[in-house]
Amino acid sequence: MVLVTLYPLLWVITISFSGGQSLALAALPPQPTKLDLVRAVIPWPQTLSAENYVSVFRDQPFARWLLNSVAISAATTVLGVFLACTAAYAFSRFRFPGRRTGMMSFLVSQMFPGTLMLIPLYIIIVQWLGLGSSRVGLVLVYATTAIPFCVWMLKGYFDTIPKELEEAAVMEGAGPARIFWTVVLPLARPAIAITALFSFMTAWNEFILAATFMDKEEMYTAPVGLRFFVGGFSQSWGYFAAGSVVVSIPVVFLFLYLQKYLVSGLTAGSVKG
Amino acid sequence: MNDPAPHAARFHAGLGAGLALALALAWAWLAAATAGGTEARERKDALAAAHALAAKVEAAGATEASAAGAVAAWQKAQRAGTVARVVLVDGARLAASTDPADAGETAAPRRLRLEEKALFDRAKRLRGIAEENAQGVQKTSEEDASRREDGSWQVAVPIRRAGAVVGAADVERPAAPPAASGGSGPGPGGRALAALLALALPLAAFAPARRLRGPWAPAAVAVALFAIGFGTFVAWASRATGGAGDGVSALSASAVAGLLALGVVGSGIAERGLRALSKNRVAYAYTLPAMVGMVVLVFFPFFYGIVLSFTGQTIFNVNEPLSDLWVGFTHYKDILGDLALVKRVEDGSLALNYGNFYWTLIFTVVWTVTNVAIGVSVGLVLALALNVKGLALRPVYRVLLILPWAMPNYITALIWKGMFHRQFGVVNYTLMLLGFEPISWFDGPFTSFLTALATNGWLSFPFMMVVSLGALQSIPADLYEAARVDGATRWQQFRSITLPSLKPALVPAIILSVVWTFNMFNIIFLVTAGEPGGATEILITQAYKYAFQQYRYGYAAAYSTVIFALLLTYGIFQNRVTRATEGI
Amino acid sequence: MRKLWSVVTALAVFLPGAAWAADVVVWHAYRGGEKAAFEKVVAMYNARPGAPAKVTTLAVPYDAFADKITAAVPRGKGPDVFIFAQDRLGGWIAAGNTIDPIDFYVDDALKARFIPSTIEAMTYRGSLWGLPLNYKCLALIYNKKLVQTPPKTTAELVALAKKMTDKSAGRFGLAYWYSNYYFHAALQNGFGGRVFDAGKPVMDAPENVKAAEYLQGWIKEGFVPPEPSDTLVTSLFNQGKTPMVFSGNWFLGEIESGVDYAVDVLPAISEAGGKPMRPWTTVEGVYVAAPSKVKEAAFDFVKYLTDLDAAKVMAIEGRQSPANTKVYADPAVAKDPVLAAYKKQVDVAIPMPNLPEMTLVWSPATTAMGTIVRGGDAKAALTKAQEKVVADVANLHKTKP
Repeated sequence: MVLVTLYPLLWVITISFSGGQSLALAALPPQPTKLDLVRAVIPWPQTLSAENYVSVFRDQPFARWLLNSVAISAATTVLGVFLACTAAYAFSRFRFPGRRTGMMSFLVSQMFPGTLMLIPLYIIIVQWLGLGSSRVGLVLVYATTAIPFCVWMLKGYFDTIPKELEEAAVMEGAGPARIFWTVVLPLARPAIAITALFSFMTAWNEFILAATFMDKEEMYTAPVGLRFFVGGFSQSWGYFAAGSVVVSIPVVFLFLYLQKYLVSGLTAGSVKG
Repeated sequence: MNDPAPHAARFHAGLGAGLALALALAWAWLAAATAGGTEARERKDALAAAHALAAKVEAAGATEASAAGAVAAWQKAQRAGTVARVVLVDGARLAASTDPADAGETAAPRRLRLEEKALFDRAKRLRGIAEENAQGVQKTSEEDASRREDGSWQVAVPIRRAGAVVGAADVERPAAPPAASGGSGPGPGGRALAALLALALPLAAFAPARRLRGPWAPAAVAVALFAIGFGTFVAWASRATGGAGDGVSALSASAVAGLLALGVVGSGIAERGLRALSKNRVAYAYTLPAMVGMVVLVFFPFFYGIVLSFTGQTIFNVNEPLSDLWVGFTHYKDILGDLALVKRVEDGSLALNYGNFYWTLIFTVVWTVTNVAIGVSVGLVLALALNVKGLALRPVYRVLLILPWAMPNYITALIWKGMFHRQFGVVNYTLMLLGFEPISWFDGPFTSFLTALATNGWLSFPFMMVVSLGALQSIPADLYEAARVDGATRWQQFRSITLPSLKPALVPAIILSVVWTFNMFNIIFLVTAGEPGGATEILITQAYKYAFQQYRYGYAAAYSTVIFALLLTYGIFQNRVTRATEGI
Repeated sequence: MRKLWSVVTALAVFLPGAAWAADVVVWHAYRGGEKAAFEKVVAMYNARPGAPAKVTTLAVPYDAFADKITAAVPRGKGPDVFIFAQDRLGGWIAAGNTIDPIDFYVDDALKARFIPSTIEAMTYRGSLWGLPLNYKCLALIYNKKLVQTPPKTTAELVALAKKMTDKSAGRFGLAYWYSNYYFHAALQNGFGGRVFDAGKPVMDAPENVKAAEYLQGWIKEGFVPPEPSDTLVTSLFNQGKTPMVFSGNWFLGEIESGVDYAVDVLPAISEAGGKPMRPWTTVEGVYVAAPSKVKEAAFDFVKYLTDLDAAKVMAIEGRQSPANTKVYADPAVAKDPVLAAYKKQVDVAIPMPNLPEMTLVWSPATTAMGTIVRGGDAKAALTKAQEKVVADVANLHKTKP
């Protein structure tokens, strides 16, 4: 299974280290034998070279664009998870009119096809709010896109946390904020990890809004920078592959960091038992 | 029930609110109608003046020499402050001008100056349109009219010589002076007085309300008083503006709005609502920021999209106000009424019509169901496998399995597409290794579908795996212990412990995954591109084509709304089913 | 990290305030060598004494360019000048408030600077909407090691290609993206086919059918690869498995350094009476945005960009084919065989239609090409495409004012 998962990625890495720009073709001699077929199926570049990586960072401000992406995605994650936590907590703990409608509306908001939204969003963010070419505008849009899933996920988790814990804390004199931070959040760690990863990914790979809203080259994000290599008439797959590999690395690090929250099973079990 | 005192208070509050709202709306409509009427009249007059000028210039031969005289003759009959220019396209000449600034050194006839480019562009554009209309391909209006902020109108009409357009008559007509518009509507003072009277009279009838008992009597009296007040105002307003024929719908809407306000406040709904608001203010405060973001950035554009779907907006009329382009349900009829699922081909056999909405719908549903099924099962299986205690290199596996999600899907989708190439793709190489014949993946709808399925399955399982992993963590280990002690088999443990515990996390993930896959634009666009012959298009790629290739924005908006309606139905249905099985 | 971010944010807030007077903003979709050449031209312009404005540029990825223009320009948030291909021209004009016609600034002397078909490409409804900067069209690119003399007619081409094909080894005599309508147009136009006739679509004209059947003949002979795509063609050429390719000058940037290539005119079609293949010319034009507040300064830059000095830089360093005719007389440019070959080709090329209805053609045409290259009935496929295009055009015009 791991092999199937990794296989296309190995091709991407191969292209990135090949020093060339064409989407690698498996080369077959005439009347290929089984061995030839096997060799063709294994991804390995004809020539090994790190030239693509060097060029990606040297010929354009790719590092700057990466930093922009990191900043925007981090802000999206913080804002998105925070707003989703508070909303999900309210949906889970309080009973108020409009609760069901609110939950449904989050779900419903995901159903609008986004392809036609570019112009109205542009009008709202750039014209009315004047947030064109600023990171804040993008963060707002991305956070709003990520929130619905986060709310649903978090609410599900909050629902499984027994109220007795909170009531016990209240009896000890803790205020609502402290209850939230010290009692509820630690138990919902897996959900927070999932929603954080999801919010980050929503912002990290988004291309068209970032390209349309930003009017200055130094404000571009990594996906925008990547698209310079392909598109239009000519495609430089070597650069694109190298850039893609680089762009994937922060996500891997984030996942490594968040992993330990996904495996807090033992603590959760003991508290509930 | 309630004693008369608060009852009367609600009565008056309701009546006051209702009347105030209705009168405000009616007043607003009046003002708009008067302005609109004025605007339409001014536009007609400006264009008539321009046509008159064009006729005079043409009668005089439409040359530079004769233009000045024609213009002078025409100017006498015009409103003070009107400026006319005769522009000739060839040589960018200003043949004549009544602009007082065009005197002395800059007197006409002369070449147009750089800052007068707009005049030249207008004349040239009219010439182009006239030539195109003469070819008979389509009929575009040969007039140019635009209203300026201060109410003045700038219009241009073509000037012909010997049948061909040689230039334009450009007229700037100032807005009508306020005194001249007398009689076309009541002044603000008159309107205010009328409104006050209409408001005051019913409120003064508080005495009957006091003595009323029973739940229906006050309501009936309130509605009656409302009708009297509103009716009086409208009757007076209609007389004052000279007939309100086409404003019936606007006035009815105002009346309905007012009655609603009356009902809501008078019956106490508003009061109860406010009380509920303050009682739950903590909850609302918690959810407010998220909701505000949703409303502004998601619902607002979508509402715009829905409105757009009822208009016939295309790239050609993008700058016109939407109310002019209303087509009602035409687009929906075209989309949903398109029942031509099969058609006869040349050789007499039946063939599927791939552009048909219902085919695309069926395909999209199949696509969604299979993808989610694969994504969930693979993700769940992997999560279970990774959850086994003592698995070596567990963190390593976890990281590797998240990679498909981490890498930008633009390149991975295209790598997959390359892998399915008939001649050079590695999938066919592998098939040949195993002794099978290579397949032309993109030649048939089913095999093409498989390529997209493989790609999307590969891309979507990490997400499901992560969700399942997180959900699995929250199941306490002692439950499994207890079950094992009781003698339950692995499969029984899975069914009775694991699955139910996974539900709260998985169900939202599945619903959202269904919604996302339904609208998964990237994969279909990049991998199959609809091959062969549009068979593997899903609804969202069709909508995209209508918008960005055919430039029919209204139609594409209707298509998107249909997609939304389908998903909404699914969401409601799914929610009911889930709640029923869980007994929440 | 956080400190860096706050510094960067602060800069982003304050920097826009430090704008120069009469700043002309230019958007483009160039990268790599073209971008470097373009920025050199901009620097040359800014360094001139007495230039009316300072020019700043912004590079935008090609995939996002059209959307960005459509979103930003009509709302006044766009650039003053932008550079893009002319095939979207009709759409932008129809949408309004995006580009202004420039006839007012242009006289016949200025028009004479350019290759006539490029001026035609930038004209719509009798008005000129921008100045042509460069053109792209297909030509024959061949591997000099494998092919010494390029074929001059299709008869020679077919013979040569068949000789060099070995399907089981993955070698094909000729490779080009023949299932893409744009590439097929070279053949189609050569046979006398066309897409529009006086504004009306004629997808199933007899010449078009003949051209499609001719292509099917080539496919049946087997010297072109199945399921072609631009990536496949590039790979095949770079690996030496294909000696001949039909492509434009964008292809040259993808050829790897080890391959010794040359460019020649597309062969004449023997079966059509020796008429030349007529590919479509895509002209890249420079436009002045309608809401711009500095139109005269903007146009001054536009004029400079299409003038001799700039054209020379863009040709030699940017590897573009300028629309400026006089630059080809320059010795440095004249001795470049690639530029000379494309110039010869453009003289028989046809400008791509710039009507807004053109975008409706691509999808049905691609579907038709899909059927044709799989051996289906060419006439039926083209008739189906014609019906679809006619229906779509009618639908589009239903509410035209």
